[in-house]
Amino acid sequence: MPSTWRGWSLLVIFLLLVVMGIWPVIGWINQQTLLWGMPSLIIWSYLIIFACSGAMLLGNCLLRRRHGADPLSKTSAGERDGGAA
Amino acid sequence: MIDPHAFSSVHDSVPLLVTLGYVVLAMAIGLGARGGRRMDTLEQWGVAGRSMGPVTLYLLIAAGSVSAYTFMGAPGWAYSKGVPVFYVAIYLAYLALVAWYFGPKVWKFGEQFGHVTQASAIADRYQSPLLGALSALVMSIASIAYAVLQTIGSAYILLVMSGGRIPLWAGVLLVLSAIAVYLFVSGQRAIGRTNAFQGVLMLVVAWAIGLWAAYLSTGEWGFSGVFTRLEASHPEYLRLPGAGGDMSFSFWTTSIIVSMLSFMPPVWTQWMSAASAGTIRRSASWLPTYYVVILPLVVVGFIGIYSLPELARADTVVLEYAMANMPVWLVGLLGAGTLAASMSSSEPFIHSVALSLSRDVLQPGLKLDDQRAGKLARWLIFPVMFLIVAPLAIWEPGNLVMILLIGLGFASQVLPAFLGMFFWPRASAAGVISGISAGFVVTVLFTVVWPHPLGLHAGFWGLMFNLPVFVLVSLLTRPVDEAVTLRFFRIAAPWSLKR
Repeated sequence: MPSTWRGWSLLVIFLLLVVMGIWPVIGWINQQTLLWGMPSLIIWSYLIIFACSGAMLLGNCLLRRRHGADPLSKTSAGERDGGAA
Repeated sequence: MIDPHAFSSVHDSVPLLVTLGYVVLAMAIGLGARGGRRMDTLEQWGVAGRSMGPVTLYLLIAAGSVSAYTFMGAPGWAYSKGVPVFYVAIYLAYLALVAWYFGPKVWKFGEQFGHVTQASAIADRYQSPLLGALSALVMSIASIAYAVLQTIGSAYILLVMSGGRIPLWAGVLLVLSAIAVYLFVSGQRAIGRTNAFQGVLMLVVAWAIGLWAAYLSTGEWGFSGVFTRLEASHPEYLRLPGAGGDMSFSFWTTSIIVSMLSFMPPVWTQWMSAASAGTIRRSASWLPTYYVVILPLVVVGFIGIYSLPELARADTVVLEYAMANMPVWLVGLLGAGTLAASMSSSEPFIHSVALSLSRDVLQPGLKLDDQRAGKLARWLIFPVMFLIVAPLAIWEPGNLVMILLIGLGFASQVLPAFLGMFFWPRASAAGVISGISAGFVVTVLFTVVWPHPLGLHAGFWGLMFNLPVFVLVSLLTRPVDEAVTLRFFRIAAPWSLKR
């Protein structure tokens, strides 16, 4: 399990994203109404898709702050410990 | 003077010429990817010397995950069921989360312990070449079934684009020969470069076709008119369980969970091809954005509901609509895009099968050194393609989809091997084998004999039996040598060792 508040935050965000795409949440979204001309389920699907990107970009920022260096470089501390968030 | 018949003939040939032009271009890019490097080691041919940058890796994984299904199957689902097709887009986004978290660790394993395949990592973690060979063999069955389906898709496109002049058998041989040449010469580098090209091509073609179809159908360069019309005439397509009534909330949910927990071998190899662990994270972060490629093609499927109501085969909806309504150059681009989708998905699977059979089955079995295994992997693509994939694609056995489902069922049941690699040091080889066996049997039974009881995905049932058996047998059997688990968990979960 994560050992820092950053790790916990990311875990919670990732789990929330998964919950957003399955029952029961998907049952609440499953309306016949159109939003901006599109079925609500399609809008919701793409909201999840872009939120996934946002969450991972946030994760990259948090890792960079935690290690005080770019964890995406090959030799940073973030890589040495396997990028544990 | 221009002969009108000749013009008509050239005009009719445009889609085929554009499609074949794409094949030639893909071959040139694949052959050029070698760049003068020696390709007879597993490191170079198998994982491109672990050298891929974030953009190439992004397009490699994205194009690899967008198969002929996106160009044919997904619009077909939209045509026959409606919005249930979007479970695919959601689980693909979740697979990016999986890549973001696990990819860097897998890359580290590969870099430090010399793994080039998924099965070699499993064999190393559990100190069991038998488990490695077993997972390589069964994953190969799933991978070959998948590659065969993609090859059939490719040959079908050539058949349609040529107006029947290129029969299915010739299309199969043409596509496989093109892939074989550049795969043999440039290995994973060819897959990286061609997938990058195919990824861009697919995105452009998908949006061009989708917007054009929407304009033809509604007079607007947007999709809202399509859905407004469907809301009035076919509202059942716009919500679950869809027009077929078979995508319940439970099947939607369990399908997403099982799909996101299935670690396919080519994806593992793609992660190991990255230049650094951080490269994987950078690519994965943007990966979901690529799945906007699905939307326009699916919209064409929705348009087909009212404009092609009598279609015999749902998965031909985009092709039929384009051929009936769009200019020939755009039909040709659609052919090229669909061919790109099927080739970009089949080549990583063929490559991964050859790599894994050489590294995880023949190398330990015949006691080969790394150099010989590297050379063997390269040559193995020919028997894999021309003695297995080609005959199956031409013969098109009726139970191929069943073979694929069973193979994918197994892939979803390998989860314990990864839980023991990333989360639970106490996992043993016996526990993993027992869990996988129990889960596999249940998945096959609930796929073939009693399909999806209570509306839950068969793979989900398999996991419910698999995981308790895995835990119980692991606790009852001897754990793997502590030095090995320490080696893995220093990378997978270093915080767990500090406590």
